[in-house]
Amino acid sequence: MHEWDFTATLADMDLLMLGLWNTIQVFFLALAFGIPLGLGLALGRMSRIPVLSQLCSFVIEFFRTTPPLVQLFWFFFALPILISVQMTPFVASVLTFSIQSSAFFAEIFRGGINSIDKGQWEAAKAIGMTRKSSLRRIILPQAVKRMIPAFAERSIELLKTTTLISTVSYADLMFQANELASKTFRPLEVYTVVAIMYFFLILIFSQLTIRLEYRLAKTGEGTLR
Amino acid sequence: MDYNWNFASVFTYWNVLATGLWGTVQLFVICSILGLGGGLVMGMLRYSKSRWISYPAMLYVEVFRNTPVLVQIIWFFFALPVLTGIEISPFMAAILGITLNTIAFSAEVFRGGIQSIEREQWEAGKAIGMSYAQSMRRVILPQALKRMLPPLTSRGIEVFKMSTLASVVAYPETLQQAKLIASYEYNPIEAYTVVALMFFIVLLPLLQLTYLLERRFGKSDA
Repeated sequence: MHEWDFTATLADMDLLMLGLWNTIQVFFLALAFGIPLGLGLALGRMSRIPVLSQLCSFVIEFFRTTPPLVQLFWFFFALPILISVQMTPFVASVLTFSIQSSAFFAEIFRGGINSIDKGQWEAAKAIGMTRKSSLRRIILPQAVKRMIPAFAERSIELLKTTTLISTVSYADLMFQANELASKTFRPLEVYTVVAIMYFFLILIFSQLTIRLEYRLAKTGEGTLR
Repeated sequence: MDYNWNFASVFTYWNVLATGLWGTVQLFVICSILGLGGGLVMGMLRYSKSRWISYPAMLYVEVFRNTPVLVQIIWFFFALPVLTGIEISPFMAAILGITLNTIAFSAEVFRGGIQSIEREQWEAGKAIGMSYAQSMRRVILPQALKRMLPPLTSRGIEVFKMSTLASVVAYPETLQQAKLIASYEYNPIEAYTVVALMFFIVLLPLLQLTYLLERRFGKSDA
């Protein structure tokens, strides 16, 4: 039987913490770019202009049906040759995950906006609001509340997908774990510790979103009863 | 943008890509059958009234939903052999990681589907003398499965995409084969573009199917 020995892993905990920090950076940047881009794609898809709507549908479907790892490789290895710029692993990761998650966020936005009763649009029109201002003042504030659980779920998916960036040698938590495992010859302990770190990171994040849901439920319509 | 696209350099290796696609399909079929079947069992355990059954099932689901698949595959590939002394092939590691993950996710779909069926259906089953297992199989599951079809199809798409992760343990699936071609021919643009298009072409019909199923079964009990 294997003798567990965590000393080597814990001695280099600062390496793992640095990886964790890098993971969190990519995660938040991808969220910050992905959510607005997702809203844009959703509005584009629902637009009445056929060309715009078809283009946005294509982008959404393309990024939903291709594996994120393939997208990452494409942005990291192929795009720099095509447009002849230097690509760092960091930029490639943020770019890939912003666009990839925006395709999924777009579907959440579309579902949320469609779920709002048609009477709300009509009421807004009746008091003289344009389509744009009723979207911003009436529809979105209600829709966003309903979307919180789906957003949380997608963000957690995104957080887990960021492990892929270790394959383009960006020093995220997974990459640091690979380094440490080959340095200490203790893969069992290293990968177990890393799994636990991811588990708690995601647990904390999901608890925060549950709390947010409860707060929104208090102020009227929410998904919790 | 004056790059000369040269797809011929990829298509001369079509048999390499075909091997990869076959590897992907194998992973997909094995992991979806085991994952969805296991998910059904796990979902019912999770729904059990006994805490001794539902709590361990909940722990399993939470652990596998809250850790990245890549960590799981690498754990099974590098860590499990140390623990058990059994060498694990890349294929086995990928199957273990993706299947156990799919079990956890589909268990939640099954549980949600079963819970969404009104209690009267259970009572009606009981009233005509059915046991718990009988009502589950004959009354509840047939209705619940309809509602679960759209999320289960999405899960299938996820499994197909997840199979690319097997490339990190050098299992010859589509992406791994494209990496090989790209490193022989120095043509990453064409190689990865072809792979992206392959996935798009295979999965687009499935994605369209989910839209259709959502419209058909999503809301009503048609």
